Amino acid sequence: MKKQNKQIGNLGESLAAKYLEEQGYTILERNWGNKWGEIDIICQYHPGGDMHNLSGVIVFVEVKTKTGAAFGAPTTMVNPRKLFQIQRLASVFPAGINQPKRIDVIAIVLTRERKLQSLNHYQAVY
Amino acid sequence: MLTKINSVAHLGLLSTKVTVEVDVAAQGFPAFNIVGLPSKAVEEARERVKTAIVNSGFTFPDKRLTVNLAPADFVKDGSCYDLPIAVGILLASGAFVAKTDLSNALFYGELSLNGEVRHSRGVLLVAIFALKEGFREVYIPAESQREAQVVSQVKSRPVSTLLSLVNYFEGKARLLSQKTALPRVENTGGVLPDFGEIVGQLAAKRALTIAASGGHNLIMTGPPGSGKTLLARALPSILPPLTIEEALEVTQIYSASGFLRPGEGLVRIRPFRAPHHSTSLAGLIGGGSRVKAGEISLAHQGVLFLDEMAEFARSLLEALRQPLEDGVVAISRAAGRVEYPARFMLVASVNPCPCGYLNHPKKSCHCSIREIDRYRRRLSGPILDRIDLHLFVPYLEAEKLTATSPAAESSAVIRQRVVNARKIQLSRLKPYRMYTNAQMQNKQVRQFCALDPESNRLLRLAVDRHALSPRSYFRILKVARTIADLEGALNIKINHLAEALEYRSRAF
Repeated sequence: MKKQNKQIGNLGESLAAKYLEEQGYTILERNWGNKWGEIDIICQYHPGGDMHNLSGVIVFVEVKTKTGAAFGAPTTMVNPRKLFQIQRLASVFPAGINQPKRIDVIAIVLTRERKLQSLNHYQAVY
Repeated sequence: MLTKINSVAHLGLLSTKVTVEVDVAAQGFPAFNIVGLPSKAVEEARERVKTAIVNSGFTFPDKRLTVNLAPADFVKDGSCYDLPIAVGILLASGAFVAKTDLSNALFYGELSLNGEVRHSRGVLLVAIFALKEGFREVYIPAESQREAQVVSQVKSRPVSTLLSLVNYFEGKARLLSQKTALPRVENTGGVLPDFGEIVGQLAAKRALTIAASGGHNLIMTGPPGSGKTLLARALPSILPPLTIEEALEVTQIYSASGFLRPGEGLVRIRPFRAPHHSTSLAGLIGGGSRVKAGEISLAHQGVLFLDEMAEFARSLLEALRQPLEDGVVAISRAAGRVEYPARFMLVASVNPCPCGYLNHPKKSCHCSIREIDRYRRRLSGPILDRIDLHLFVPYLEAEKLTATSPAAESSAVIRQRVVNARKIQLSRLKPYRMYTNAQMQNKQVRQFCALDPESNRLLRLAVDRHALSPRSYFRILKVARTIADLEGALNIKINHLAEALEYRSRAF
């Protein structure tokens, strides 16, 4: 079961990364972290799609993936404690000290066949 | 989308408008927050409202919800905001469209998890507030509708479930009042003792009749088992029914305190409260962090019976002094200042000494003079000075108990006399918004208790001889007035005054 959850999580994170790239974000790190925990995706948004413009906001993304709706929506599984953990990690992220930062949540629901059912991107949740 | 729903907050018997603002944000991480100084009970409304909405067959919006209870500067307490919050969420999320204007309506009620609206305390106050502030309708729990109907000028909309309310707003169904079969329960929780069953004690019965007629305070002294408690317990059977004005005052207190059962409207039975002597100051006078009404306010327009008065803590009895005089008690707490009416008739019973057999014809008293002295000091002068009728309830001889004496007067007969005396008082005092002789201020006493020269001489003699306080002076006149009213006499005559003076001589 645990193994399965991990698989689903990884699948969700890949889907989220793909989605972010489509939206014009550059992925900086995946599963970056230390003993405090892990941030699923760290990415940067480039204004106007200009890859050389480095003034864009750095986004720390928590991805939450669920199969089916039996245990409630994925958004209910992200609580203030988790967000605080991400905030603490984000505060020690070395790159882009002068850039604005943001914490996002991507909530993914998969079907039983592990096909994408819905993907919601919530910006600036903290 | 943002919606505003009107609701009401109570502090004591005073109400304030609370605007429940609900915002369902188009963006943002899903959350459900309540701001505007909610108490723990209101905080918990989140879970109740969420579950009630889902169980009523609606979808709870997966969006960022913010509920604001304005004005935000005082603590909102109680579960009555469930209904306005739920209605606000359903409106703001577009679950239904109201065809009527809701800015002229008040919403009030607690939700249960299955979407039913539960009986909530303070519904009468909501209706009164609506009338005062010009709200046309109140949406209240169907179980509490009888309370709201007391204020007939305001349309009361009985809400039994959240779903029925939405159906009503969409024009699909009408709101139905709930017919709750009210079990007929006497307010003492049993059959009242009748004066007709009490053998002898004619003097005590007479004094109780006078007290009941004029609303005067009374204290009974006597050996254990002489019938003090029984006489007091029978007192409600001769009390006159509440007038509409009195009933409205009493019902407000009971509604705010949550003592009205589902389906109950106006309180019709005169209150009779008999707190145990272990009661706390907040329990007797009122108070606590939520500033609740105490026993003295629950006994408003009725009887506060203190059995074994000398056993009550000294501080409790002294705290009675101010409300006994003013008929209102002001309680200041962190939550605010609250005034509760407390115009009650004090009926007390005490033993003459710690062992109880002082001056007993057959038994001897074992108490030392010091013990008796200490016992008597438990009731202070200022308290006894406020009691109009001092009464000794003697030990009853065995032959009187067994003898087939002619049946005593039944409560119904005595009650009729009391009702007649009250009618006379009411017609005289109505312009001053008073109901009984005991409520008269010195000004009214001077106006309505004029004495003939002979009576005047007697009263002066008594005041001189017993060094009666000016307060006692006025209280004697009020009792004399009641005795005259019982007889239907226009003016106080010397025999009325003499009887009033008789009751003033302290038995304790």
